[in-house]
Amino acid sequence: MRDVWIAGVGMTRVGRRSEALQDLMAEASQKALGDAGIDVPDAIVVAAMNPEEFVGDGNFASNVATYMGFADVPALRIETATSSGAAAFFAGFAEIAAGLRRTVLVVGGEKMTHLATPRVSEIIGRSIDPYERSYGATMPALAGLITRALIAKHAATLREISQVAVKNHANAVLNPYAHFPHAVTLDEVMESRVVAEPLRLLHCCPISDGAAAVVLTTDRTRVRLAGVGQGTDTLAIRHRRVLTSFRATEAAAHDAFAMAGFGPERVDLAELHDAFAPFELIALEDIGLVPPGKAGSATMNGETARDGRLPVNPSGGLKARGHPLAGTGLAQIVECVWQLTGRAGARQVSGRVALAHSIGGLATNNWVTLLEAA
Amino acid sequence: MIETIPASRCPQCSMIVAPPAAYCPRHPVKMISAVLPGVGEVVTFTTLHSAPEGFRSPLHIAIVELEGGARFVCHGAETRGIKIGSHVAVEAVDEVYYFSHLGALDRARLFWRRTGRAGERVNAIARSVGKRVWKGRQRAS
Repeated sequence: MRDVWIAGVGMTRVGRRSEALQDLMAEASQKALGDAGIDVPDAIVVAAMNPEEFVGDGNFASNVATYMGFADVPALRIETATSSGAAAFFAGFAEIAAGLRRTVLVVGGEKMTHLATPRVSEIIGRSIDPYERSYGATMPALAGLITRALIAKHAATLREISQVAVKNHANAVLNPYAHFPHAVTLDEVMESRVVAEPLRLLHCCPISDGAAAVVLTTDRTRVRLAGVGQGTDTLAIRHRRVLTSFRATEAAAHDAFAMAGFGPERVDLAELHDAFAPFELIALEDIGLVPPGKAGSATMNGETARDGRLPVNPSGGLKARGHPLAGTGLAQIVECVWQLTGRAGARQVSGRVALAHSIGGLATNNWVTLLEAA
Repeated sequence: MIETIPASRCPQCSMIVAPPAAYCPRHPVKMISAVLPGVGEVVTFTTLHSAPEGFRSPLHIAIVELEGGARFVCHGAETRGIKIGSHVAVEAVDEVYYFSHLGALDRARLFWRRTGRAGERVNAIARSVGKRVWKGRQRAS
């Protein structure tokens, strides 16, 4: 297997965007290719979760490739629900590691703020088991079920869960690409509108537009792809015996660390999938970044803050940077690369190993990616 | 009345799912039909205050672990007095399953069924002790 390196990264500002999805993807791609100093990649991998439903376009790899002037470059599309960006990154990695390509552009994004929220929820909800969906289960509803179980097990308190949102908003203040670059207080989070008991509005990520891109190469650069792991679980959450940790994350982390040849103790910073604030606490323990039962206290005592032992979601995370679905897994990797190469501006932290964690659906198809500064 | 809920069981790992599925989620084998009683324990529950299209808010949703092992997703008319671990009945109203507190009659029926099982166990233990004593005597003689 060949070593795979990150040649360049780029992303759009995340938020309410008036541009078409193709424009957002072209902007991110041009930034990443410019950063890499590559005019034309050997191949393109496109990540988009629901472009048919959100923007009405299909055959999306060809659509995007042609739109940005790469009609002659082989392109394919990857989809694993909300982790599509991380999955596309894996596909690009596999193409290079197998010796099939020398440079691959991986680009992902989503455009959805032009639709009404109930419509967006319904489209995202199609990634849920059909029976559970027929009972009105949306992503926030399933997250509410998991959060109630988490609190009942004394694995986390609502205060600790709320502190995740406070921390990630504080980080986003320093991120010019963030959807919500403003701070929130613990009281504001805990008193925000109830969405799915016990989850409140400020525990949930927003609906965002945006795109991110990464260029992978065989040539040595400043950042090496150390490991990638994929983990899966049943589509229906009622088919799982354990609700307070995600098998898909545990399996993905296990495989990523096995490929990298080191363990979680080497990780200096992490971008975790905090679509709902309690998911950051679950991920910290599933990946082994904190000992079992310690995620809440680690968050409360500042270990995961930007100036802590292990900065988590320095970008602001899905919570405050925003969650443009298929763009998110790649936006996490963009942030990790910026952090490892000293280009994260005011939110810069120090470290040599960065971890990105992406959840697909309700933790049915998760990814852990490890990047190492060379 | 305690309702029965259609389910299916994996011949390989014995996992039971409800409603029934064609294949086991973890094994590529056809599942066998099974039936479970509509009673169980609340695993977790939520109240959704922004229900999706076609549903009215607030929407009470629970995961109930039915006796027999399958976890089941259902609605509730309310969650007052419901806790994780609460014993509930699950029954269909217009083909939609709802959880509710068990009525006094249902509780009595369940109690007798449990004591019935316990009684059988006591009988079995008594029988095996009796046999051993009998064999011991035979050996001694």
